[in-house]
Amino acid sequence: MRSPFHSEQEAFRFLLLLILGLLPVVLAAALGPTWLALAVLAVVLVILAARVAQLRMRKLRGLALPVKMAPPHMGSAAERRVLVVANDTLGEEALLREVERLACVPDTHLLLLVPALISPGARLTGAIDGLLDQARVRLKTALDRVGHGLVVAGEISEADPLQAIEDTFAIFAPDEVIVSTRSERAASGLEPRLAGLVRERFAVPVRHLVFEPGSAAREPNRDTEARYRHEFGDAAARKFGLKALAGAGILAAVLMSMVALVQSSEREEARAASQAAAEQIAALPPVAKMVVLKVIPEGKRGPEGEKHDEFTTTEFVVRAGQPQELRIDNTDEVPHSITAPEAGVNIVVMPGTHTYTLLVKQPGRFLWFCTFRCDEWAMQHPGYMSGYITVS
Amino acid sequence: MLIEHPDEATGLAIASGLRLAGYAVAVCPGPRGHGQCPLTGPAGCAPAHDADLVVCSLGYEHEVAREVLRELRTRYPDTPLMVEVPSDMDADLRELLDGCHRLPAPATPEQVVAAVQSLSGHAAVEGHAGA
Repeated sequence: MRSPFHSEQEAFRFLLLLILGLLPVVLAAALGPTWLALAVLAVVLVILAARVAQLRMRKLRGLALPVKMAPPHMGSAAERRVLVVANDTLGEEALLREVERLACVPDTHLLLLVPALISPGARLTGAIDGLLDQARVRLKTALDRVGHGLVVAGEISEADPLQAIEDTFAIFAPDEVIVSTRSERAASGLEPRLAGLVRERFAVPVRHLVFEPGSAAREPNRDTEARYRHEFGDAAARKFGLKALAGAGILAAVLMSMVALVQSSEREEARAASQAAAEQIAALPPVAKMVVLKVIPEGKRGPEGEKHDEFTTTEFVVRAGQPQELRIDNTDEVPHSITAPEAGVNIVVMPGTHTYTLLVKQPGRFLWFCTFRCDEWAMQHPGYMSGYITVS
Repeated sequence: MLIEHPDEATGLAIASGLRLAGYAVAVCPGPRGHGQCPLTGPAGCAPAHDADLVVCSLGYEHEVAREVLRELRTRYPDTPLMVEVPSDMDADLRELLDGCHRLPAPATPEQVVAAVQSLSGHAAVEGHAGA
């Protein structure tokens, strides 16, 4: 894969894309719940994966590149450099004879390039020594067989064949490329469409030698090359498509599990919070639906033995913000009141039986008293014409 | 060196000659290639941008040739352009060719290489004289 920091322009573009990709995730994380951030991340990843897959498919299908490149010729004008790319066909007699023939042409230099064809799996696990050894043995056998040590060199490459050829162009600058494959791709062989891909990319003559077991080399015509490109490109694209689909499925499953996990944890937290709130409410003193009481002049004897005015109930328990009905029978001939300035309460209790609403918005314990001039002692003593409102 | 030629074999032959003369080359079929020609698209043509010289054949249909020329001249005015021009060229094409190096069509690959070498030698002498 090409490095995103290959040039300043590409690095800047990569950074910009990274910021644009992460911005919605960060915004979702900051403004919404965790699952939303995960969902946005999933969408961003899916878009990214789709784009990567699209580019990869395009590469696998081998869409024609419009421009072919080639470095300047190296050496004198008479010199000719030939790059031979082969792997499992390197032992073929016909190929070796062709290499020998070219090596005998004056001023011709040959480089045998053997891509080791390391699969991504082998690369990932590091199990590449066997493949490299295999390629090394093939190259050594071929070089020993061909001889001409001064004009024929060999090289093993761990890179993808096309990449290996591109790298070799930078150091060897071939004037011609010979790609040797079989008509059907073997496990350790080059793809038959490689020659077509090299031809599309480089502005030098490319020869394709195809070997069938036990028969001489043949050079496929344009139609056969097109068929190779179509068949093997499509096969590789199909294979990649299946892998990408499986990968997308796994990614989707992992992300969905994460979202489900986060949602379940959030639900658990919400359930715990509501349970705690319910327990807290249950622990509060009970609130009566309606409190019935009376105001009785000289109805209750004080500690000094004299009778004083009284509210028969002086402790009120209410819920914050919830109205509480009071049915008060004022048996006196004058009005009295339940006044609690800190709680914002001032209920004027008229003579006779009436229903009043007690409403306090903030929790706390508030002192109330009667503001109508009556029994002064009783007005200052809770339990008589004064008391408390407990708000929870 | 960018060679823009509708005929692939001729383009490659010119490229081969230019490589032997010591130039790195890029060969492009122009709008006749597969897919959309980036020169006429919004992205522009990176090889044309990077080239020291663009060798362009006008062997396309009239409209296409005009578009290629116009894009090359307007997008990359600092890149020298050598154009292989047919004798029966229209007036509108002639206008676009002001300031270009011209080569009468049909030119053989050897003639193109010789013209490029002559041009670069001339430029080198000019550069040397300027220095």
